[in-house]
Amino acid sequence: MKSTLMNTQSKIAFMLIMAFLAIIMLFSGWIYFAIPSFLHDYYYDVLEIRAMAAGQMELDKNEGELNGLRAVFSEKLMHEEDLFFKLEQDMDLRTLADSLELPISFFQTIIKEGRARHQEKRLFYVGITYASKQGNYIVVSRAQDHFEEGFIAYLKKTLVAAIIIAFSVSLFIAVYYSRYIFKPLRDITEKAQQISSENLHLRLDSRNNNDEMDELIKTFNDMLDRIETAFETQNNFISNASHELRTPLTAIIGEADVALSKERTIDEYIESIRIMLEEAEKLDAKTNALLFLAQTGFNGKIQQFTRLRIDQLIWDVKSTIEKLNPKSNIRVDMSLLPEDPTKLKVTGNEQLLHLALTNIIGNACKYSNNQLVNVSLGASDDNVVIVIKDNGIGIPTSELKHIYDPFFRASNTKNYEGYGIGLPLTRNIIKMHHGKITVSSLLGSGTTVQIKIPTTNQISV
Amino acid sequence: MKKNVLIPTDFTIESLNVVKFLLQNRPNDCRYNIILLHGAQAPDTITELLFFSKSKMLASLSNRSFEEACGVIKNKYASGIASMRTDLFSGYTQAAFNNYLLANRIEEIYIPNSYHLHAKNPKSIDLLPFITKCKQPVNKIEWKTEALLPEKGSLAEIFYNGVVAN
Repeated sequence: MKSTLMNTQSKIAFMLIMAFLAIIMLFSGWIYFAIPSFLHDYYYDVLEIRAMAAGQMELDKNEGELNGLRAVFSEKLMHEEDLFFKLEQDMDLRTLADSLELPISFFQTIIKEGRARHQEKRLFYVGITYASKQGNYIVVSRAQDHFEEGFIAYLKKTLVAAIIIAFSVSLFIAVYYSRYIFKPLRDITEKAQQISSENLHLRLDSRNNNDEMDELIKTFNDMLDRIETAFETQNNFISNASHELRTPLTAIIGEADVALSKERTIDEYIESIRIMLEEAEKLDAKTNALLFLAQTGFNGKIQQFTRLRIDQLIWDVKSTIEKLNPKSNIRVDMSLLPEDPTKLKVTGNEQLLHLALTNIIGNACKYSNNQLVNVSLGASDDNVVIVIKDNGIGIPTSELKHIYDPFFRASNTKNYEGYGIGLPLTRNIIKMHHGKITVSSLLGSGTTVQIKIPTTNQISV
Repeated sequence: MKKNVLIPTDFTIESLNVVKFLLQNRPNDCRYNIILLHGAQAPDTITELLFFSKSKMLASLSNRSFEEACGVIKNKYASGIASMRTDLFSGYTQAAFNNYLLANRIEEIYIPNSYHLHAKNPKSIDLLPFITKCKQPVNKIEWKTEALLPEKGSLAEIFYNGVVAN
């Protein structure tokens, strides 16, 4: 996993460097070819003017312009030479060209177009036709562009240095950038590796900036929510089963033991078997209720979210609890029920919500020793509110923050059976329904659990 | 039949008991326009007055649980409530208060009897002296205040405090 990640990271860095490099090369190439060609043209123009001036000076001896021309000639170009050839009708261009070691086409162009340019190794040639007082001449000026040579060498050096610097900067940027991009991914991987079945309640930290990484983190956390719920559902079932089924089983075994200890009358046997039947029926009812709770929408199908009415659900939960614990004393308080029943509709998984409420109300019954438990229902504009209030042992204030940790049990629950599974499971289920659960408690005088679930209208908006 | 009713509030859920009581014992065909009034001084410096906004002041005084509790009551007594809103009174004199009652056509005022409305904020002013001196009929509502409830302050309180619904 690590190596592929590094690969992607270095791949991105490599691609970035390549892109940078291509752009740098393109720029430098452009500059390297464009500037010398401009200098060439400029130098030819200078030579041409000098050829013209040389023609005037040497052939016409034009005194009037001599002063101005002196200024032009004040600076001698390197290896400068001006050559004059009288233009005649039957001129032998071939010998002329050979004597200067120039291609014949140079002179042909001069005659045809009046001017020509040529470069032979490091010497630049410019030829023009010049109409002087003694007749037409070909003036050829040649010189070496010392300035350009130096300039090109300097340009080369500068460009190479610039490329090296730009490359190292782009290397730094590419490496830093790819690191920066992959940092959250590495963090996620690191954090995700810590999560195992022992600590499924751990979640990745959301960065709250709604980018793709945040989306990934959210998706991952949602998945963990679902896995944890499924996991806890199983645990919950096992803990409930071991707890709830043992009592009737003990009763049946005890009754059978007593009946078999010696010979009895028929009436006594009938009585014993009747008690055993009663207990077995209780066992059956409990098993059914537990199995119903254990299904919880994870039976190999996609979780079904449907519209359901909370008041209906609460009555169902009440009957389930009364099956599991016939001594429970639950009062459903509908005094603040809204007049409009559609306000009680939520979108949710009925079995999961059933399980969640069974856990909370069952706990309320358990920890208040089957005193009266009030279950109230109301609806605000956004949420359905379920409040479960008992007068039980309460939760110590210092331990309130731990109640959602799996397997945590408050210090005052030693006399009650339980495994600390129900509440985390319930919170997960409520979280899956975008709801909120708040537990407030006073030690010794009771606990109030408040559950808010957004109504269907609220979600669809 | 519609009636405009004024109830002083301190933005606690317990103070909503007055509303609960009023609505439980309403005549069948009666619909109420309820104003939950809180007294608070307007700021007295020019800069503060420049940026003063009544809705912002109300939002800072109110809280989520209180609003949700109002929602629960509104849904429960949907047929008995024509409107319910919170408002701010920032006058200093009895005449100003009388004018406020006149402007909002308040016909009746309901106040808690033994429950003491808290000053929510240093700027809060007690409305009871104004209420007792005004001409509109004032009804006092009594309920038993339980000293300690685990759900104190949270929305759950609306279900259990004081007036028990029938």
